[in-house]
Amino acid sequence: MATVEIADLRKSFGAFPVVHGVSMGFKDGEFIILVGPSGCGKSTLLRMIAGLEDVTSGTISIGGRVVNALSPKERNIAMVFQNYALYPQMTVAQNLGFSLELSKMPKPEIEAKIKESAEILGLTPLLDRKPSQLSGGQRQRVAMGRAIVRDPEVFLFDEPLSNLDANLRVKMRAEIKALHQRLGSTIVYVTHDQVEAMTMADRIVVLRSGKVEQIGTPMDLFDNPKNMFVAGFLGSPAMNFLTGRLAADGSAALVLGNGERVALARRPPAAGDSDVVLGVRPQDISPDPENGTAATVKVIEPTGTETHVLVELAGQEITCVLGARLDINPGDEIRLSFATPAAHFFDAKTEARLETGSTKHEG
Amino acid sequence: MMDGMSSSVIPRKRRDPVLIGLWISLVLVALIWLAPVVFILFTSLKSESEIFSSAAFALPSDFQWSNFSVAWAKGNFNQTFVNSSVITVIKVPLGLLISAMAAYALAQIPTGWNKLLLVFVLFGAMIPFQVMLAPLFTLVNSMGLIDTYPGIILPYLAFGVPYQVFILHGFFRAVPKELTEAALIDGASHFTIFRRIFLPVSLPVLSALLILDFVATWNEFAMALVLLQDKNMWNLPLGLMSYQGQFSNNYGQLNAAIVMTVLPATIVYLIFQRYFVSGLTSGAVKG
Repeated sequence: MATVEIADLRKSFGAFPVVHGVSMGFKDGEFIILVGPSGCGKSTLLRMIAGLEDVTSGTISIGGRVVNALSPKERNIAMVFQNYALYPQMTVAQNLGFSLELSKMPKPEIEAKIKESAEILGLTPLLDRKPSQLSGGQRQRVAMGRAIVRDPEVFLFDEPLSNLDANLRVKMRAEIKALHQRLGSTIVYVTHDQVEAMTMADRIVVLRSGKVEQIGTPMDLFDNPKNMFVAGFLGSPAMNFLTGRLAADGSAALVLGNGERVALARRPPAAGDSDVVLGVRPQDISPDPENGTAATVKVIEPTGTETHVLVELAGQEITCVLGARLDINPGDEIRLSFATPAAHFFDAKTEARLETGSTKHEG
Repeated sequence: MMDGMSSSVIPRKRRDPVLIGLWISLVLVALIWLAPVVFILFTSLKSESEIFSSAAFALPSDFQWSNFSVAWAKGNFNQTFVNSSVITVIKVPLGLLISAMAAYALAQIPTGWNKLLLVFVLFGAMIPFQVMLAPLFTLVNSMGLIDTYPGIILPYLAFGVPYQVFILHGFFRAVPKELTEAALIDGASHFTIFRRIFLPVSLPVLSALLILDFVATWNEFAMALVLLQDKNMWNLPLGLMSYQGQFSNNYGQLNAAIVMTVLPATIVYLIFQRYFVSGLTSGAVKG
C-alpha cells in the first residue's frame, strides 16, 4: 500500500507527444480511475507507472520513492491486462505462484499464498486447470489472483473488463470494488467506460489528448464539471448541449439560432460577446405543456424503467429521459422545460464552464 | 405403417466428389513416394542372384542380413556414421537454441533496431550457398579448420540460423506482448521468460524445425564435399557416394548402405512427426 505521485510527466513516441506534462497524486488506499476516449494517453500513463514504457521527462514516485529508473519488478506493483495475459502452458496454481517462485519464496509459503488468494476469488476448484479451459470471467479472476498473491504496493488495471460481455462486466465491477474494500490497496484503473469510472472510483482523472481535464470524486465531476468535455463524458445518456445567446432583455432565457426562446432557471454570467452553451442532463429535462419549448420527437427508446426520447429542437438533437409510459409517437411535437437548477452554462468558444459554484441535483 | 417404413430407410449420405478426388490423388502421391523406399528396402535384403531373377517389388525369398554387415565394413561406416552423428547432434540443437534466442530477442525486446537487425539476419537466407562455396572454402581454410568438426559445424550454423530465425520470429511475434510484460512485472528476466514461457509455447514449431534441420544436416552433401577432404572426416552422404563409386556392381550391399544412411533420419522423423504436423499449423496456437 502506498501513495503515487506523478510530477510533470511527459511521453513522446519519437517526435509525437502523447502525454503532455501531467501531474497528480494518489493517496494510500485510493481507487483511482483514469478515464478518457481512446488515444488520450491513459494506457500510456499506466504503462509508465508500471515501468513498461520509458518516461520522456518528469518523475513518478511510488511510496515516496522515485521509480523512473527502476524495472517493473523493482517497483512492487502488479498489473492486470485487458487480455488477461495468463501463461498458457501453466495451470491456474502455477500462474498464481509464478512471481512468488521467481522471488525464491519457500514452497510451503507459496502454496499457502496460492490457497489464500484462490479462496478470495473463488478459484479453488479451478487450480489444476489450464487457462484455455477457463471462461473469460474465470481468466480475469486468475489475472487478479496473480496480482493479489504478491501483496503489491499498487495495483494497476488496464481496461480489465473490456473483453467481457455486458452482464459479466457488471458482476466483475462489483467484485473488483469489493476486492478493493477488502484489501484496502491503492488501485490505478484505466478504462474508457464512464460507467465503470462513476461506479468504482474514489477519484476520477479525466484525460483528453494527453492532458488532465479534471480530477475529482465521481459526484464532484458529475455535478461540477470544469468544461464541456468532462460534462459530456460522464453520465449516461450523455449531457445535452444547446448553443444560443443570452436574451438581450436581461431575462433568464437563451435565444437559439432560429429565434426560439428557452426559459432558464437562472441567468448565468455573460460570456463576453460569444455564444453560451446550455448543458442539461437528459434526466433534468421535463415535459411542460404550458411554458416549455417546442421540440419534434424523432426516436423513442423504452428501457422499461424509463423512456429515452430523442427530439429535435432548432436543428439540434436532444436526448431526454422521461417517465416510463408515454403516449407519444415519432413526429409528435412536445413541449419541454430546460429550466432546471442543475443546468450548466459553458462558453461556446473556450468550452469552459461559466459558473464556478456548485450546482445541486434534485432527484 | 408408413412411419415405420420411413424411419427404417436411412437416406444414403452423398459423397463429396472433390473429397474422393483428393483421397485418390493422396494415395497416388503416397505410392509414388513409397515405391523407391520399398524397392531399396527389399533390394537391400536380396542376394545378388535374386536381384536379377526376381521382380523389383517382390519380397526377398531369403533375407540376406549379411548385406548390411558387409556394406558397413566395406564402406567405412564406422567412421562416417560417427562423423555424421557428431556433426548433427551438435549442430541441430545448438542451431535451434541460437535461432530461438535470437528470434525471441528480435520479437520481444524492443531496441529500436529490431527491424534492421532482422533484415540483416534474413539476408543470410537470401543468398544461395552454392554462390558462397568457393569463398567459404577459402575462409575455413584460412582459419585452419578444413577437416575438423568446427570447420563444418560453424558454416552449417551460419546457413541454418537465418531461416529458423525467420520462422520462429514470426511465431514469437504472434505471442501477445502482454504475456512478456506480465512476466516482467512478475519479476522474470528475459532469459526466464524465454525458457519458462516461450519455449514451452513453441514446442510444436521447434519440433518441426528440429526434424527439418536434422534431415537436412544428416543428408548434407555439397558443403561437406568441399570442407571435408580427409576420408576419415567424411559424413555419411560422402561415404555413400564413395561406396557407390567403388562397389556399384553389388546392388544388395549398395542398397543396404543407402538404408543405413537414411534410417536415422527416418527414425527421428517418426518420433517427432506428431509435433511436426501441429507445428506446421502453429498459427492456431493460443497466446
